[in-house]
Amino acid sequence: MITPWIRRHRKSSKSVSSQGLMLPGHRMPRIRRRRNPVSGLTNQGLISPSDWKRPSVRWGVGATHMLLLVALVVIGLGPLLWLAKAAITPTNDIFNHPLSLTFAHGAAWSNLRTAWSTVQVGHYLLNTIEICFGSWLVQLTVATTGGYVLSVLRPRYARVVTAMLLVTLFLPAIVLLVPLYLMIVNPPLIHHSFMNSYWAVWLPAGASSFNVIIMKRFFDNLPRELFEAARIDGAGPVRLFFSVVLPMSKPILGVVSVFAFIAEWKNFLWPFLVLQDPNKQPISVRLPAIAGQTQLGVFLAAMLIACIVPIVGFLIFQRSFLRGSGLGGAIKG
Amino acid sequence: MAAIEFQGVSKVFADGTRAVDSLDLMVNEAEFMVLVGPSGCGKTTALRMVAGLEEISEGTILIGGNVVNDVSPKERDIAMVFQNYALYPHMSVADNLGFGLKLRKVPRSERRRRIQQAAETLGLEPYLDRKPRALSGGQRQRVAMGRAIVREPRAFLMDEPLSNLDAKLRVQVRAEIHSLQRVSGVTTIYVTHDQTEAMTMGDRIAVLRDGTLQQVDTPERVYQRPANQFVAGFIGSPAMNLVDARLTRANGSLVAHFGDHSLEVDNELVAEHPELLAYEGKDVVLGIRPEDLEDAAFVGEVPPGRILEAVCNLREALGSEELLHFPVTAEANAGEPIGLLDRKNVMLLARVDPQSKMREGDRLRLVADTRRLYFFDPTTGRAIFADQKQVPGAKS
Repeated sequence: MITPWIRRHRKSSKSVSSQGLMLPGHRMPRIRRRRNPVSGLTNQGLISPSDWKRPSVRWGVGATHMLLLVALVVIGLGPLLWLAKAAITPTNDIFNHPLSLTFAHGAAWSNLRTAWSTVQVGHYLLNTIEICFGSWLVQLTVATTGGYVLSVLRPRYARVVTAMLLVTLFLPAIVLLVPLYLMIVNPPLIHHSFMNSYWAVWLPAGASSFNVIIMKRFFDNLPRELFEAARIDGAGPVRLFFSVVLPMSKPILGVVSVFAFIAEWKNFLWPFLVLQDPNKQPISVRLPAIAGQTQLGVFLAAMLIACIVPIVGFLIFQRSFLRGSGLGGAIKG
Repeated sequence: MAAIEFQGVSKVFADGTRAVDSLDLMVNEAEFMVLVGPSGCGKTTALRMVAGLEEISEGTILIGGNVVNDVSPKERDIAMVFQNYALYPHMSVADNLGFGLKLRKVPRSERRRRIQQAAETLGLEPYLDRKPRALSGGQRQRVAMGRAIVREPRAFLMDEPLSNLDAKLRVQVRAEIHSLQRVSGVTTIYVTHDQTEAMTMGDRIAVLRDGTLQQVDTPERVYQRPANQFVAGFIGSPAMNLVDARLTRANGSLVAHFGDHSLEVDNELVAEHPELLAYEGKDVVLGIRPEDLEDAAFVGEVPPGRILEAVCNLREALGSEELLHFPVTAEANAGEPIGLLDRKNVMLLARVDPQSKMREGDRLRLVADTRRLYFFDPTTGRAIFADQKQVPGAKS
C-alpha cells in the first residue's frame, strides 16, 4: 500500500522540482534551469554546473584536465617510477635501453639483495634515521619553546628577538657554513670537538628561525582566554606549556615534524662535512661516495630503498600530521 | 568566601588610556555584585584586575582583607568564567572540570567526588566524557561554570558569561547562575553590558562609565533613584526619555515646560524633594520613563496638567505591551543621543497598554505619572534629588 504512494509522491516531487512553480505542460524557459541556487552554493568552482552542461565547455575543460594530470604524473611520478623499474633491471639493460618499459633480460631482483647486503644500505638507513630523529627532536624542542616564549610568555625583549629571528631568514645558509663548521670543531665554552658525532648534526639543526617563527605564528592565534583560564586554574608557565599549549598545537607540530624530517633526510652537505667516519654517515652522504665502485643497477636499487622509507613514512603518518584535532569548542568565535 | 574591596583602583594602559579611574567599591561577602556599563567603560578591566590578569596601576585591591596587588592569579583562589568559555579543547568535560583541582593537588577521590557533584548540579553528567566541541553553546557555558564551581573558590568572577548564548537560553542560564550563587553563597562579581541581567541578578549594581563609578545600589534603587542622567538613561528598558525643560510656577505648582508641552509636577513629589524648588525659573533635564506614560483611554479623568499630546510616529506591538514613538519639539538633551532626530526634535517613547487603539499618524493623548518625573541638573547631569552619598566619586 505504502510503496506506490511513495513512488507517486516521489514522482510528483520530482516534477515539482524540475518544473518549479510552472503549470504542468508549460515548458520552462531555459534560463530558469541554469540558476540552481543549491548547486550554486555547494559548488564554489570557477565553472558553474550550468556551464558544465555545454558540450564545448565539458570537452574543452575535460581535455585540459586530462592533459594537466598526465603532465603532472609524468613530471612528478615519472623519475620515481623509472627508478623503481631500473632498480630491478640488470645494469647492461639500463645502459642499453634506459627508457624501455620492459625487461629485455628479465628482472634482476638480486640488485635489491646486493644493495642491502654488500652496500649495507640498511646500516646507513639506520644512521639516517638516527640523525633525523635526533635533529627532529632538537628542532621541535627549540621551535616549541622558542615560539612559546615569544608568543605566550612575551617578555619585554620578545619583539627584538622576533625581529632578529626574521633577519636571520634573509641569510643564505651557505654563508653560515664556515662559521658553523668552526664552531663545531671548537665549540665555545665546551672546547670539545663535535666532529664525527651526531651532535654535530643535531645541534645546528635546532638553530632554525623558520621553525620558531611558524610556531610563534600558530601560538599567536591560540585564544588568550585559554591561557588566562589556565593561569587562574593554577597553571604555571611550564604546566601551561605541556598541558595546554602543546596538546592544542598538534597540527603545527605535524607540519614542523614533516619539514624537519624531510630536510634532514635529504641533507647532504652538512653531514658530509662533519661526519667523516663512513660508518656514521647517513645514506644521503654514502650513496654518492659509493657510486664509483658500485654497479649502476645495485646503486639504483640502493637509491630506491633510500627513497621508499620517507614516502612510506609520510603515507602512514600524513593523516595524524595534517588533520589535527583543531580547536573545536575551545571558545565561541 | 571573601569580601572584595577596591580602594582607589586605577588602570592606565601603556598608551595612556585610563580604563578604570580611582574606583572605590566594596563587594561584601556572599554578595552578587554586577558591574554594568556600556562597552569600553572599564568593567572588564576592573574584573581582570581582581583576577590578577591585569596589573593594578594605582590603588589596592583586597580579597578577604588581604592586599592582592602582587599576588599571582593562582594564589588569589578565585575562579573566573569567560565570555567565550575558554574550555580546553583537547580535554574531556571531566578533565576540564578537574584541571584546576589537579593542579592544586586535590586527591583523586576527592576530585572525582567534586566533579561528580558539579556535573549533577549543572546537568552535565551525560557529557563528562565528551570533548567541548561535541557540546552545544549552552552546555559549554555550563562546563565553564562547572569549572568555577568545583574549585570552591573564595569568589566567582564572571565576564559577560551569557553574551554568546541565544536569547532564550540566556534567560534560562541567567536564572541558573543566579540560583547557583544563592545556594553556594560565593561572593560574585558579574560583568555585563546588559541592564536586564544587571537588574535581575545583582544584589547590588555598580554602574560604570568611562572608567568612573556612577552609582552603586540595589537594582530597585538604581532604577528608582538614578544618581545622574547617565544612569537614568542606561538602566531601564526601553530607556528613559530625557528632554531639556524649564521649571516655572503656575497656579501654585511647579510646571515643567518642554517644546510646546508642559507637565505639572505633582505636589507630592515636590514635597518629598524640596530641592526642586531651587530650580524654579531655571533649566533642568526632565526624565520620564516610557512606562510612566499611558494611553489616556485607559486612565480615568485626569487634570490637564498630566496630559501630553503628540502625533504617533511609530508603533511597536510586543504583545504584552505596546511602544509608541512620538516626536516633540524640544531641545534634545545633549547627554544621550537616543531617539535624537535633530537639535529641535526629539523622539519620545511611551509604553502603553497592548489594547491601545493608537496607530501611526494618530494624535496621541498620553497621561504622564507626574509623581514619577525625574529631574537632572543640566550642567552637572546629577539627579536634583539624588542622595549624594550613593554617588561615590561620580564626576559626570
